[in-house]
Amino acid sequence: MSSLATMLSTETGPEAEPLLSARDLTKVFHTGGQDFRAVDGVSLDVKPGKVLGIVGESGSGKSTVARMVMRLIEPSSGQIMFEGENLTAKSGEALRQTRRHMQIVFQNPHSALNPRDTIGSAIAEPFLVQTRIRGAELERRVEALLDIISLPKAFKYRYPHELSGGQKQRVCIARAVALEPRLLVLDEPTSALDVSVQAQILMFLQDLRVRLNLTYLFISHNLAVVRHLCDDVIVMSKGRIVESGSTDAVFKSPREAYTRKLIDSVPRIPRLCV
Amino acid sequence: MTALLNIDNYRLDIPTFDGVLKVLDGIDIALEQGDTLGIVGESGCGKTVLARSIMGIGPRNARRVSGHIVFDSTALDELSEADWRRVRGVKISMIFQDPMTYLNPLLTIGRQLFDVITAHYRAQGKPAPAKTDRLARCVRLLEQVQIADTQRVLKSYPHQLSGGMRQRILIAMALAGEPKLLIADEPTTALDVTIQAEILKLLRGLVDRLGLTVVMISHDVGAIAALSRRVAVMYAGTVVEQGTAKSILTRPRHPYTRGLLAALPDIEGDAQPLEAIPGTIPNLINPPSGCRFHPRCPRATAICRQEKPETRSVGADHVVACHHAFD
Repeated sequence: MSSLATMLSTETGPEAEPLLSARDLTKVFHTGGQDFRAVDGVSLDVKPGKVLGIVGESGSGKSTVARMVMRLIEPSSGQIMFEGENLTAKSGEALRQTRRHMQIVFQNPHSALNPRDTIGSAIAEPFLVQTRIRGAELERRVEALLDIISLPKAFKYRYPHELSGGQKQRVCIARAVALEPRLLVLDEPTSALDVSVQAQILMFLQDLRVRLNLTYLFISHNLAVVRHLCDDVIVMSKGRIVESGSTDAVFKSPREAYTRKLIDSVPRIPRLCV
Repeated sequence: MTALLNIDNYRLDIPTFDGVLKVLDGIDIALEQGDTLGIVGESGCGKTVLARSIMGIGPRNARRVSGHIVFDSTALDELSEADWRRVRGVKISMIFQDPMTYLNPLLTIGRQLFDVITAHYRAQGKPAPAKTDRLARCVRLLEQVQIADTQRVLKSYPHQLSGGMRQRILIAMALAGEPKLLIADEPTTALDVTIQAEILKLLRGLVDRLGLTVVMISHDVGAIAALSRRVAVMYAGTVVEQGTAKSILTRPRHPYTRGLLAALPDIEGDAQPLEAIPGTIPNLINPPSGCRFHPRCPRATAICRQEKPETRSVGADHVVACHHAFD
């Protein structure tokens, strides 16, 4: 056990062993002869049953971190540990086995669903890829998932274009939680949605986390949404972590000038006096 | 009526293959010179169609069913295309959401700004001043939008500039004809929050210094609140509530306005639970009868299904269209 892990466990007790931890993650993109450090030495711990938010402006590297954690893009250096196993060392069948425990939901639900597949087959796909569940049992699972996202069973015969943005995003979430993953990475899941629909999705995510005992890594540029949903938060800028801590502490008394500027830039709405 | 902009019972239909979209359903808006109006609403509520109709660049196949848009004592909806050229960009200007899309990637900023200035003289049938004077005007316009290194920017191509800088340039172009009214359609939506704050501050300054009248369209209540003295809330092609920003935001009367505000997470985060508005926005080919919000409204009764609510005054500069408005 490394000294850092020992330190963490003595501080917060052994039950707070992180579900996911990343150490010194770096991603260098080579573009036209020039190297671009999109992510530079990022370390983070996602505690089980908690929501960790990563907030930052465009180009801060927050989505790159999300994709590296999922091994959708390879880190240039650094290590990712998932449930105590070294994810960066895994490949092939071992990686495929681990993937069912960690799932991702993307920003744009309109492009995340295949327009030629019905909603039913979109939700069934994880079972076909990762399990031997077929036939009547598969139908039953798909209907149970539609039930979880509060869509009528008949929606399995519909195509993506027949659904609203919020409904599509719920389908994407259903598909992501189909195999009961332990970690759900949410990359700007409400940014393409209207505010009333955003509220529906946020409330749904909060409820789902409790029901399915999920852990979230939540990426967003929207500070108010992060404030609302996350237990802990990491503020990123230009590929580096600027500040991290409990959401309350970071928002109430930011230590870094950049964090303060970010928070102060959000226009305030006069308070409702009802 | 001394209002600079007066929209009166404006109804617009757009025929499509699936049927006729009843896209605007009796819009009433009046705006004084030097005032700022924020039009807030979710996607598909008709706010952009309304903004484009004011500018005379609405959908080509749109049909005006009733009403007028009167600007500076001119009925805009009766102008010929030749007359429009003396209004558009000169009296009314517009800026858009994505500043990259509206700049030519192949020409320098200087060239594009210069062309806009020249075109304004041509459109008004006036001889253009000497080239050096027009170049000096380019520099003054950039200074007006608080760009410091004007010489570098004039020589730059759009891709060499940041999103915030590009939006400043579009604002400069919009100001080239010295318009009375500026329509800003989601001017900060594509920008990061820190840049958004700068652009809103710039627009605020232009309102104060130039006495510009602004109609800002946004789905972002925060951005609207930062700029607008008055607010109109749109839902499914209707204005459901209108008045001073302070009055609307602190004491909303319409159930939709309340729902919209309750759906916003608060950055001050005093852990008040969010409230979602159930359901989704209606299809405007076959909009709900009576009040268009009634299928999603917690206060709806039989009358809401039958009668479209009249707009009535509920305070100094605060009107609401609801049968069961909050007190």
